[in-house]
Amino acid sequence: MLPIECPCCGPRDHDEFRYGGDASVTRPAHDDPDPEAWYRYVFIRANPAGLHREFWQHVIGCRQWLVVERDTRNHAIASVELARKSPHSKSLARKSPA
Amino acid sequence: MASPDFSLSVVDCPLIQIEGWDGTLAQFESSLSASLGTKLPASVGETVRHKGFLVIRVAPRRLWLALDDGAQASSLAVDPDLGCSVSLGEGRVRFRMAGADIAGVLSRCIAVDWCAPAAAPGRAVLTSLHHVPVLFLRSGETACELIVPRSFSQSLSDWIADAAG
Amino acid sequence: MSSNHKRLSMGGRIDREQPVEFTFDGRSLIGYRGDTLASALLANGVTLVGRSFKYHRPRGIFSAGPEEPNALVTLATAGRRQPNLPATTLELQDGLVAESQNRWPSLTFDVQSVNGLLAPFLSAGFYYKTFMGPTRRAWMFYEHFIRKAAGLGRAGTDPDSDRYDISHAFADVAIIGGGPAGLSAARAAAAAGARVALIEQDFLLGGQLLAEPSDSAAAKWLRQAEAELESSETVTLMKRTTAFGSYDGNVIGLVGQRDPANPRPAGEVLQTFTMLRARSIVFATGAIERPMIFSNNDRPGVMLASAARTYLNRFAVLPGKKIVVATGNDSAWRAAFDLAGAGAEVTVADLRAAPSTALAAEAGRLGVVVRAATRIVDLNGGHAVRRATLNEADGQSEATCDLVCVSGGWSPTVHLTSHLGVKPQYRDDIGGFVPGAFPADRFGAGSMMGIFSTADVIEDGHRAGTEAASFCGKSAPVPAPSKLDLGETATAPFREIPSLGRGKAFVDFQMDVTTGDIELAYREGYESVEHLKRYTTLGMGTDQGKTSNFAALASMAALRNATIPETGATTFRPPYTPVAIGALAGRAIGHHFKPIRRTPMHDWHMANGAEMLEVGLWMRPYFYRQSGLDVNEAYVAEMRSVRQAAGLMDISTLGKIDVQGPDAAIFLDRIYANGFAKLPVGRARYGVMLRDDGIVLDDGTTTRLGENRFFMTTSTAKAADVLSRLEFLLDTAWPDLRVAVTSVSDEWAAMSVAGPKSRAILNAAFPALDVSDAALAHMGLLESEWQGRALRILRLSYSGERAYEIYVGATAGEQLWSRLLEAGRPLDLKPYGVEALGALRVEKGHVAGPEIDGRTTLDDLGLGRLAGKRSGFVGDVLRRRPAFQAPDRQRLVGLECIEEGKRLRGGAILFLPGEKPYGHGRGRVTSVTFSPERGHHVGLALLSGDVASEGSEVVAVYPMKAETVRARIVSPVFLDPQGERLHG
Repeated sequence: MLPIECPCCGPRDHDEFRYGGDASVTRPAHDDPDPEAWYRYVFIRANPAGLHREFWQHVIGCRQWLVVERDTRNHAIASVELARKSPHSKSLARKSPA
Repeated sequence: MASPDFSLSVVDCPLIQIEGWDGTLAQFESSLSASLGTKLPASVGETVRHKGFLVIRVAPRRLWLALDDGAQASSLAVDPDLGCSVSLGEGRVRFRMAGADIAGVLSRCIAVDWCAPAAAPGRAVLTSLHHVPVLFLRSGETACELIVPRSFSQSLSDWIADAAG
Repeated sequence: MSSNHKRLSMGGRIDREQPVEFTFDGRSLIGYRGDTLASALLANGVTLVGRSFKYHRPRGIFSAGPEEPNALVTLATAGRRQPNLPATTLELQDGLVAESQNRWPSLTFDVQSVNGLLAPFLSAGFYYKTFMGPTRRAWMFYEHFIRKAAGLGRAGTDPDSDRYDISHAFADVAIIGGGPAGLSAARAAAAAGARVALIEQDFLLGGQLLAEPSDSAAAKWLRQAEAELESSETVTLMKRTTAFGSYDGNVIGLVGQRDPANPRPAGEVLQTFTMLRARSIVFATGAIERPMIFSNNDRPGVMLASAARTYLNRFAVLPGKKIVVATGNDSAWRAAFDLAGAGAEVTVADLRAAPSTALAAEAGRLGVVVRAATRIVDLNGGHAVRRATLNEADGQSEATCDLVCVSGGWSPTVHLTSHLGVKPQYRDDIGGFVPGAFPADRFGAGSMMGIFSTADVIEDGHRAGTEAASFCGKSAPVPAPSKLDLGETATAPFREIPSLGRGKAFVDFQMDVTTGDIELAYREGYESVEHLKRYTTLGMGTDQGKTSNFAALASMAALRNATIPETGATTFRPPYTPVAIGALAGRAIGHHFKPIRRTPMHDWHMANGAEMLEVGLWMRPYFYRQSGLDVNEAYVAEMRSVRQAAGLMDISTLGKIDVQGPDAAIFLDRIYANGFAKLPVGRARYGVMLRDDGIVLDDGTTTRLGENRFFMTTSTAKAADVLSRLEFLLDTAWPDLRVAVTSVSDEWAAMSVAGPKSRAILNAAFPALDVSDAALAHMGLLESEWQGRALRILRLSYSGERAYEIYVGATAGEQLWSRLLEAGRPLDLKPYGVEALGALRVEKGHVAGPEIDGRTTLDDLGLGRLAGKRSGFVGDVLRRRPAFQAPDRQRLVGLECIEEGKRLRGGAILFLPGEKPYGHGRGRVTSVTFSPERGHHVGLALLSGDVASEGSEVVAVYPMKAETVRARIVSPVFLDPQGERLHG
């Protein structure tokens, strides 16, 4: 049971989340007509043995999409942050009751 | 079902959801706070009680107003440039539970630590009950509520009744 | 023989006031509360308890714990069978019925013991070499007989009538093991202020302390520790609970047994599977004693020295009168002394030339005969040991005996610590493996860490408990541990060298693996421990090689002339001991296997003849029972009813999403292949969403409720996926768009009135509403109220008939449904189910799930015109890739069955007439129905574009029913191609 520390809800079991794939690839703009860019985004993956930036959605909880850095060799999670780049992310980070 | 040590009753759950846009969150919150007449819970898991309703933060920019029994969930007017609201009163029910055995029964249902500060009276925890997303609200020392999607109501109240033995 | 003739009259931790009746192999016997099945059998002089796996050799009780390799029994209490339970951990209870295993017709006369004669042919890997011919099929023939002979216990065939449960538990510090280290750690952690959970597999706390006499200093220390922990509010003691697995996130999997003393009310839970989440863990799991390796070391009457001591001191059973203790370390001498003190004649055969003077003196005092520099090499005796052959400096001798206690050293029980992949480390100074490096939140204590004196173990437990509590931020001052010194001496480990006479020397008792098998594996090149394990099956039994792993490793190391670290060790994986599947399932069985979703009209369906169908998690009406009709006739009748008059369908399961915001229209334009930004308020539009790779994801209808507000519907199956997708795009791709998406699937009861009389029925049900075509055009919306709830009426058709979708607040769903039926009765309105729903849309040529299967594009489905000249929506670029334009790409067609009396089937493979029906064919049938309109079966299919010309024939082949049918390619719209019925 991998614990993922949701910035809003605290540490939760991984089965509260939905996996969303590689977060290190760049999505083209919605109106980008270049098939190469879309092909790379949809199909090409680095598949590292080591730290992997990936998307997880906390579907049982706050439903936020998160970016998780997970070591694919031993599941150690190095960081978790909200995927949305928001000026408010910090102020809304969960204040853990002691 | 009811015994002196554990009781479960299922009631309606009038509920309004309000969400603010990302770029104007501070304005949205102060405007909402003013129109509700109460401050808002600061982070996910916190609640603020006001007359007639409980305000719960369920996501960074999303709040639920859980109305008290009998109240009508009419829509709340929200400035469309700041946010929006939708009534969720028909699609959910409340499981109201109490009793000396409540922590034991719930330990067989949800992965929430009854003794942890995050589950103390006044706190809300989004969790799963038999794989279904529910909202746990701790209302007292030996009392709590679960807000459950209506279509799962029968199945999940049976699940809890089985746990209560 | 009188009952319990090997039981001492005093001492032990059994309750002589509470006798317990039980049955073993049909024999009624008496034991006492506090006994295990093993101790009660030994007390009654039962030494033969099973037959070995391969050779069917007679076997007895070897240990006093879960490491037991031999004494596996089948519990047949109350008519239910549970096989392969170790008698050594079965708590004795009234009415217990147990049977020995792997023997026929009886334990004493077992026909398959002739396998012993075939032994030379049954060595490791024999089936790879023996049953290899004369043809390929020969193995399948032999396998049938081997399968019958294989295994130990037999599984029951009746459904498991026991109840199991699941639970979640939390702690600051979890302590695995209730022996001296664990108890000491628990006291320290609790004193420091931590919330402690102490897990102990036995029904008593104490671990190795239970091998000490029940009136000793150790027993007193144990009583004090127990009292202190039981009275603590922050300590939870979980006895009869096995920690079977250690998982990420400091989650421990536990299985707890019910206390058999509590009278069992009907339906009470037998076992509970608990997920324990702790902030820190102390592993205090102790160590397991090792056997000695010599010929015939598996005879009944051979037992671990500490086990003999446990049976004596804990259970007041003297398992033998003439005892040989074979060892090379000091710990076994304590067993020798206690057994002698209880009246047995004891001889110690020690490998060492000069055992310590203190030990020798004590031996002399108690009358224990000491034979130094002596090794045991063979045993004589079939069903019970009779004589031991001893080798010493001046030659061989024989010793008469009825019990042989062996101690080849101790293996720390490291299994749980290595479940997460941390490899154990070998330590030369103790001759065993200890855990590898712990992460910051895990700690080890006691003999599991290679510390063997009780005094040191208690200190170590205290240290670990204090550190584990401190890790959680609990650092209240902890008093010094209460001490206990049992005067054990440390011994250098000895490297076991198997001592062989003429008989087999066993390394793994349960899997019948001998030293000869290990040598064979080495000779044949299977010298890595992973190969050794799998080639010989060593360590693969229910005991996971707990008493055999180390000796096997040492043997292979010796053969390879390598060190132990060089030879390596196999990986330990959960579960530590076998776990009943029922326990893992807990309460999630039967109707609780998965949660069930019911629509607001569910009760009405159940009360009105609906045959219900599980559709994912939902219960939906399949069809409504009409007298004398089966499903195939019923759905056709329902179809006719809809096309000729009107039908009422519960469509509440549709996914529904509220989409709001100033940028909602722009958002919809980007996610749908067709445009939505210009949809007028009060209008609905059919929309198709693609995936990023250009494949169709889902279809649905979205209605514009206002400038910034839309009501989206999705298919039932894809609702959750679509919502997550929308949230993903808003959170990660277009965070600047001001849009909120919320599931409102359960908010609305939804029902469809479809058929030529639908408008008249709506008029009758809602007299106050204007539902004329002028007020409510096709694809239009009407908003109103009903019984105080919001009401939405959309004029949409899925069936091709004039139809209306009616949405009302879920709490009013059943009422509205009944109102519609009542208003529609004079117009022949009838309910219809999902079978007819599907059939109607197939007749009309609408694609649905079977066509939108994750492999098809808009063009494949004939929907390319939806996208028109638009671009900039999800999936647009990759849907145009060359592969999707290939001429043989499979495209949607309609098929008509042209053979009288035959039918089409979904999933049939399509071939051209005359083609051999092998391989992938030219396409497949996706959806079929009987068409009342056409009078025969019709279907939708995906067929290679280069052969899909209307009017030509194909052959539909369905190998699973050996059916072949000719069909003609036609337009997929089987009725009303002009859509006149929508407006009729």
